[in-house]
Amino acid sequence: MEEKKQHKTALPEKEPIPSAQAPEALLDIRGLRVEYHTDEDVVYAVNGLDLTIGKGESLGLVGETGAGKTTTALSVLRLIADPPGKIMGGEIWFEGEDMLQAKPARLREIRGSKISVIFQDPMTSLNPVYSVGDQIAEVIHQHEKCSKEEGRRKAGDMLEMVGIPRARYDEYPHQFSGGMKQRVVIAMSIACSPELILADEPTTALDVTIQAQVLELMNELKEKLRTSLLLITHDLGVVAQVCDRVAIMYAGEIVESGTIAEVFDHPHHPYTIGLFGSIPSLDETAEKLKPIQGQMPDPTELPEGCAFAPRCPYATEACRTHKPEMTGVGGTQMVRCLAHQGVFESPELMEEVRHGR
Amino acid sequence: MTGKVKNKNKKKSQAAAVWRRLKKNKMAVLGLIILAIIIFFAVFADVFFDYETLVIQQNASLKLQPPSAEHWLGTDEVGRDILARIVHGARISLPVAFATIAIATVVGGLLGAIAGYGSRRVDDVIMRVMDIFLAIPSILLSIALVSAMGTSVTNMMLAISISNIPPFARIVRSAVLTIKNEEYIEAARAIGASDKRIILKHILPNCMAPIIVQATLSIAGSILAIASLSFIGLGISPPTPEWGSMVSTGRQYFRAAWWVCAFPGLAIMLTILSLNLLGDGLRDALDPKLKN
Amino acid sequence: MYRFILKRLLMLIPVLLGVSFIVYTILSFTPGDPVQMMLGDNYSEEAYNALQAELGLDDPFLVQYGRFIVNAVQGDFGTSYSTGNPVAAEIAARLPNTILLSACAMLFAILIGIPLGVISATHQYSAVDNISMVGALFGVSMPNFWLGLMLIVIFAAGLGWFPSSNFETWGALVLPAITLSANSLAMITRMTRSSMLETIRQDYIRTARAKGLKESVITIRHALRNAMIPIVTTVGLQFGFSLGGAVLVETVFSWPGIGRLLVDRIGLKDTPVVVACVLVLATMFTIINLCIDILYAFLDPRIRAQYKTAKR
Repeated sequence: MEEKKQHKTALPEKEPIPSAQAPEALLDIRGLRVEYHTDEDVVYAVNGLDLTIGKGESLGLVGETGAGKTTTALSVLRLIADPPGKIMGGEIWFEGEDMLQAKPARLREIRGSKISVIFQDPMTSLNPVYSVGDQIAEVIHQHEKCSKEEGRRKAGDMLEMVGIPRARYDEYPHQFSGGMKQRVVIAMSIACSPELILADEPTTALDVTIQAQVLELMNELKEKLRTSLLLITHDLGVVAQVCDRVAIMYAGEIVESGTIAEVFDHPHHPYTIGLFGSIPSLDETAEKLKPIQGQMPDPTELPEGCAFAPRCPYATEACRTHKPEMTGVGGTQMVRCLAHQGVFESPELMEEVRHGR
Repeated sequence: MTGKVKNKNKKKSQAAAVWRRLKKNKMAVLGLIILAIIIFFAVFADVFFDYETLVIQQNASLKLQPPSAEHWLGTDEVGRDILARIVHGARISLPVAFATIAIATVVGGLLGAIAGYGSRRVDDVIMRVMDIFLAIPSILLSIALVSAMGTSVTNMMLAISISNIPPFARIVRSAVLTIKNEEYIEAARAIGASDKRIILKHILPNCMAPIIVQATLSIAGSILAIASLSFIGLGISPPTPEWGSMVSTGRQYFRAAWWVCAFPGLAIMLTILSLNLLGDGLRDALDPKLKN
Repeated sequence: MYRFILKRLLMLIPVLLGVSFIVYTILSFTPGDPVQMMLGDNYSEEAYNALQAELGLDDPFLVQYGRFIVNAVQGDFGTSYSTGNPVAAEIAARLPNTILLSACAMLFAILIGIPLGVISATHQYSAVDNISMVGALFGVSMPNFWLGLMLIVIFAAGLGWFPSSNFETWGALVLPAITLSANSLAMITRMTRSSMLETIRQDYIRTARAKGLKESVITIRHALRNAMIPIVTTVGLQFGFSLGGAVLVETVFSWPGIGRLLVDRIGLKDTPVVVACVLVLATMFTIINLCIDILYAFLDPRIRAQYKTAKR
């Protein structure tokens, strides 16, 4: 009930975002709710999530493990394993079509060709018994009518595009390193020139040096192909490197969103402030890191009010009973926090916000 | 001293956890119940059916009678009650099967422990011999052994035991190889524990789970082997009421009197089924990782 | 790859030598004097000695074994004690029947078991799954000689659909093949199901789905292909068991194969034939296992790579 209300009030305020940032929304997620039903209890993974990505725009979705980031991405293509996962409500509009209403055949047309996915762990996301080239060619054959040779040639082109020599077409995943495998996965995801790529922590499983290479590759491809990107990560540095906009996710909902400049310069939400506080920085001298206290709430028993209240240093009694709504705080930046909504005043928080980073 | 007590408690709680998981598995419980009923009847067979008068004594006037209120499962070609013979048959199949697998477990386990724990050469010799035994389908090996040693219960038991040794040797050996290099074994060795002590105190308890599962499933296999050998005349011979030999003698009459063969066979199947259910359940309960 | 196959073929030799030695040793302890058996009740001392020398039974054991091996390699398994015919000829006359029976049984088990296992896995806990798993449980637990008799009662004697002991027609093959396949069918179905259940949860299946592939393509090309290794292992093992099981099924159906020959001749203490039968069946089992090992390489490039680089 409450969710619906909040969703209605949140929408009008959102309207200026597309006009200011991107002329047309490519992906528009509204009020998405996803639950996982196990024998004993229900995990509330995504709780009324709103998210928009414009054409050619790249959005970073940031949050801790368990915040529901991957579930959100998988929901877009309806790839959540059912059982135990169930999409309980909401709409996911992509190019004027609600993905949640799409028939299986239509979904298959979109998967891999209009929207593609880069999964987190390149070690396990390639099929070990087929050559990497054939695995890329497979998605091409699925969506484009072309001869065997043509598919092979195109798949070879894709390999070259991600920096793998064509000669390695017939090699198997086990002959590649982690970084190279992720390049293969990326090649697979761009093979049919999709409108949108969902990248689920594409660099988390890789070594730091390899991470940088893969990010650079993704940046390059993004420029070249003008594809929209939803980049899921828990690493704010990665977002700064690749994305135009950022959305911070906590316990299944967005708590703050805006352009990179807005959010990185002046984080408003206590959680976002905490996130920045827990990254070491070279500029600041010898200030102690301030990790966020406590843990994410148990996703089977979410708090009644603001989900972040139990860990929030500024929380008041109101925070424990009232659900905050997304509130504009200037520009395109929006925050889900009662203090910014004007329910209570917190000079300490405002001081922290003004101070910025 | 306190360490020992703690250890015992831990073991107890482990067993309790296994039992809890097993109880949750309906199929395993079903297997356990069937097996318990079969064992119950085997133990108290004499209370229900007198061995001499019902199981052995022939009665020409009652021969090949179909199932009736008096003879629930009918009578055989010499007028003996089939139900009585089946119940007494359990007194043969079950203990013989348990004994064969007990022998195979001990011998195979020791061989495996020696192979895994001993030098490379010892390992090679033992495992190559095991490989050779594994290269002969076990029923064939049993047949060859019995036909060489002569048909008798002891020889049949020996034959079935021998053909069941290799899997136990393999299980224990691989368990020993994985555990051997773990730190706590090195620690035990560092404080001067003898090899024998390390094998008995550390390694064997650690491979109990796969051994128990293999043993349960092997008992089922052994029951089948006993019945099979008896069926082709290499096991327990009439008039002893063994299930396989009952099916075998019934063969001549079964076109006219199906019950002569059908029920002893059902008894074999039910026993094997219960052990398979229990074995599968134990596998899941003992090591949740092994599931599926 | 070829070097690997060659190496494995060479490794067959010690295994087969070991098998033959064990079988020969076991069976040479068979009680009873074959010379006496062959000569009957009335014979002279000279005739006894002459025959004993002719059969080579007066030589030391190892010499006898050596001679047996040398001859066996040349296809000569000696002379049957009971019929006086060459053992090789007796085996050759029966072996094709056993191969036919086992092959049909395995083919049946594979063609039914794998699809059934796949459906059970992709439709876990559905009616098909529950029924086939209960059926498999019974199939695993059923003694095949008993199943054979029951099938005869029902389908041959009762309904008259199939002959039960006339081998001129193909119809005669049906009941023995089904009987022999029951255990294997059950095992293959169970293994296919559990192996598939594991693979369909893998990340690359999600990748395949994200490519927009059809479920049937995902199931067969991506999941089943990866689930094949344990299934193939089971098939190989079951093939071996079916050779052993053939002994019983052939007895039940009076099928003129090598298994029945074995059982008949054990009764007659015809040691050369018994040794040859066990050896031939064990050799077939070993060769099947080798084929399975080679098949692994075709199924999984990682194993192929191991074979290429393996030293031993």
